[in-house]
Amino acid sequence: MSQYVNGMPQIGQEDRRQFLKVVGLTGAVAAGSEFTLSDLRGEIEGETAGELAAMGESIRSDLVGTLDAGLLGSELASLEGQIERLPELRAMGVPAEESTEYQQLAEPGWAIHEHLTEVGFFESVEEHLPEFTPEHIGATAREFINTGALASALNELGYSEEELTSTVVNVVNNKERLAMWVPTKNIPAGVEGFDPANIAPLHQRASAGVLLWTDYLDTYLWQNEVLMTDTILDNNYGDLKQMYAGLHLLANAAEDLAGSQELNDAQLTAALSAGAAMMIVGQEDLTNDVMRITDEMRAPRTGGA
Amino acid sequence: MASIHQHDAAVEAAQNIEMVEVEDGYTLTNLPEESITQQFDIDQIPQKDVTQEMREASAKEDPTSWLMYGGGYQQQRHTSADVITPDNVEDLELEYLVQSGVASSMEGVPLVVPGDPPVMYQTNGPNHAKAINARTGETLWSYTYANPQGLLLCCDANNRGFAVHGDKVYMTTLDSGIVALNRYTGEEEWYTSTGDHEVGYSATWAPIVHEGKVITGSAGGEYGVSGFVAALDPSNGEEVWRTNTTPSEEWAGDSHEHGAGTVWMTPTLDPESGMIHAPVGNPGPDFDGTVRPGPNRYTIGTLTLDAEDGSIQWHYGESPHDVWDYDSSAPKIRVNDMDMGDDSTSDVVISPGKTAWVYTMDAGNGQLLERSGETTQHINMWKMVPHVDEDRRVAFVPGAHGGNDWQPPSYNPETGLVYVNQNNAPHEIFWEEAQYEAGQTYWGGGLNDWPDVSEPSNWNGNLSAIIAVDPVSGDVEWRDWISADETSDYLWGGSITTASGLTFAGTQNGNLIAYDGETGDRLWQFQLGAPICSSLSSWYDPGEGKQYVAVQVGGSGWLHGGRRGSTVAVFGLSE
Repeated sequence: MSQYVNGMPQIGQEDRRQFLKVVGLTGAVAAGSEFTLSDLRGEIEGETAGELAAMGESIRSDLVGTLDAGLLGSELASLEGQIERLPELRAMGVPAEESTEYQQLAEPGWAIHEHLTEVGFFESVEEHLPEFTPEHIGATAREFINTGALASALNELGYSEEELTSTVVNVVNNKERLAMWVPTKNIPAGVEGFDPANIAPLHQRASAGVLLWTDYLDTYLWQNEVLMTDTILDNNYGDLKQMYAGLHLLANAAEDLAGSQELNDAQLTAALSAGAAMMIVGQEDLTNDVMRITDEMRAPRTGGA
Repeated sequence: MASIHQHDAAVEAAQNIEMVEVEDGYTLTNLPEESITQQFDIDQIPQKDVTQEMREASAKEDPTSWLMYGGGYQQQRHTSADVITPDNVEDLELEYLVQSGVASSMEGVPLVVPGDPPVMYQTNGPNHAKAINARTGETLWSYTYANPQGLLLCCDANNRGFAVHGDKVYMTTLDSGIVALNRYTGEEEWYTSTGDHEVGYSATWAPIVHEGKVITGSAGGEYGVSGFVAALDPSNGEEVWRTNTTPSEEWAGDSHEHGAGTVWMTPTLDPESGMIHAPVGNPGPDFDGTVRPGPNRYTIGTLTLDAEDGSIQWHYGESPHDVWDYDSSAPKIRVNDMDMGDDSTSDVVISPGKTAWVYTMDAGNGQLLERSGETTQHINMWKMVPHVDEDRRVAFVPGAHGGNDWQPPSYNPETGLVYVNQNNAPHEIFWEEAQYEAGQTYWGGGLNDWPDVSEPSNWNGNLSAIIAVDPVSGDVEWRDWISADETSDYLWGGSITTASGLTFAGTQNGNLIAYDGETGDRLWQFQLGAPICSSLSSWYDPGEGKQYVAVQVGGSGWLHGGRRGSTVAVFGLSE
């Protein structure tokens, strides 16, 4: 489990060193003890942007004309409204028995997810994007950092510079875990007897996981109130922020693709890859921080009434 | 003392069946072409139908009967028979042995229908069954079900017992079916298939009958099936309802089709509220969670259904998005009006799972009221991140067999304690690299079992324990660590309790033990010479003035099965 401050992963010196190595920064900025993504913007050479652009171009040519711009626009606005409610959800603490607060958080995400599933969006993304290799993660991080618009959109939703930096560093430094989320096209038949035909594309799994976990939280947190501590609830908040930063990147990229097309091809790829990575690492953190509660983590037993 | 008929065609057919190891488990060969009933002196069987009311009184209100796998619907495994007490249990003697004649898995609980004489209905692997005079041990009929070729069994040729209703007994079959027999004659009445055995469905548990429904479940969680609970008409086997445990809306893409979540042990039922509390196993595939993101809701925990229509009422998950095979398959215990210690009472469901905690939940909505202290050790639990630590093999406790695998727990309303038989042996999960296409990699899982694991530094060396837990406070009241040099010294059977405060349980090294349920003191012990992998039953026979305790003896299971046996041992003590 990561160390957390206010629910977000705490970035230590070793984390910074690893991160800067992956994104290819070994110079003056790397020597600094602390940084934010803004500090790094412009310092990073995007030497692999061409590869990202080719991937983005392929996705764009697959999907232009298939997406419902109106639906995506209105649901993205709803999703942003829900993301802005995250501090309220933390303040709520353990939900009431019949609460649907977390299900409401997921609702616009589901609408977007289902539309993207219907039009074959996730198949196209998986077909054109590579696995989460260290090289692809590094290239994506560089493009994400250098694209101020992607971070700005999240800043406007209440993500501080420190939170976004923490999220990106945490994702990049979890490259081994990301690599285990294998694209469906690369999963062979017969491992653990599972039929790959039933497995959704990688990016669909990432977003479905975020939404399924969110839907579960009303019941889960309420049912397990006797185990809950402020630390667990703080971590739940921080992990949700990571997951929803990723979901917003995905939704924002899809909406842009359907409408204004302000993102260039490399930025489109970066948004989709970084979004999936944030959703994956966030949900794995949630599993470890909130769902696997050891005796050391839980609220003390009261020993009966 | 023992009862062996010289010629028993049903026994001979079962003896000919061979269990063969195949790539993904086991299968059976030399199967009979048709089911066989061998009748003996069936006129001894009193012809009095078993009713709903009799089952609701079974064991707890009516000490002359043990009509259900768990004693009664609520699976407390408690008899109000009180002839055997802590003061006289040392006089408990072996009354008779029944040699089933079939040395196979022995995980069943003998049912006893009261009468003159009481009749015992008993099953064991591979779908062999008997009716027995419960006073003398004489076999009255034998039956062997004709399973088809092509079975796919994860663990053994298990069967854990009958359900009884009216003039019939009901047994699940390894090909994922239920067969109904006339209990007076042993002849088949009907058979219904509930799943395709060729894709991995099977069935091993004792079903239950309630208000015009035979309630059954599903097995095959290691073969990519989709779990369910189903209700059949007891008169003809027609399906009344079926509830899938992996509804599509709770899974990503089509992964629900292979999501497992099987219900491979006997469901608990509360007749008063009409609620079923089903024990649910692992999500599928077992070890690679990335193909099934999210909590995999309704797996690993307690799934509560309305018995009338199968609708889902609530679920409590003990290991959301599990990747450790931490099933919660032990039968749940329902206790109504439990004294919560603050002048209030609650209806509760109690669940011990592989996670080695006992969960006490509000029966009405599934809210956790308390999670106990650890029942066995927790070492490196949830620490080894799946698929990342590929170069390490970290031993962890509880292993993939728990804690509490399927071993049925018991409850004693006299002591207010729950009794659980649990394992403490370390396992190692490791991640296997499967090479495929152009050097790409994919990871599957594997498992090392004790003793082929590195010993964790703070492991206490005990392979198992019998434990008493206060379900209100969560305190572990006592624990009898079971330790021996033999690697087979783990626990694979259940326990029962009596009105006089005794707890009976068997061990893998063949000891049948009577504990003082309050203190954990061993008051009596009998060495049966083969592993005990079953739960027990107990009843009072007014015609003899005796209380009996029955247990099947013989090794079974997926690990350390131990020496096979074919015996039902029955002990008795006179008033």
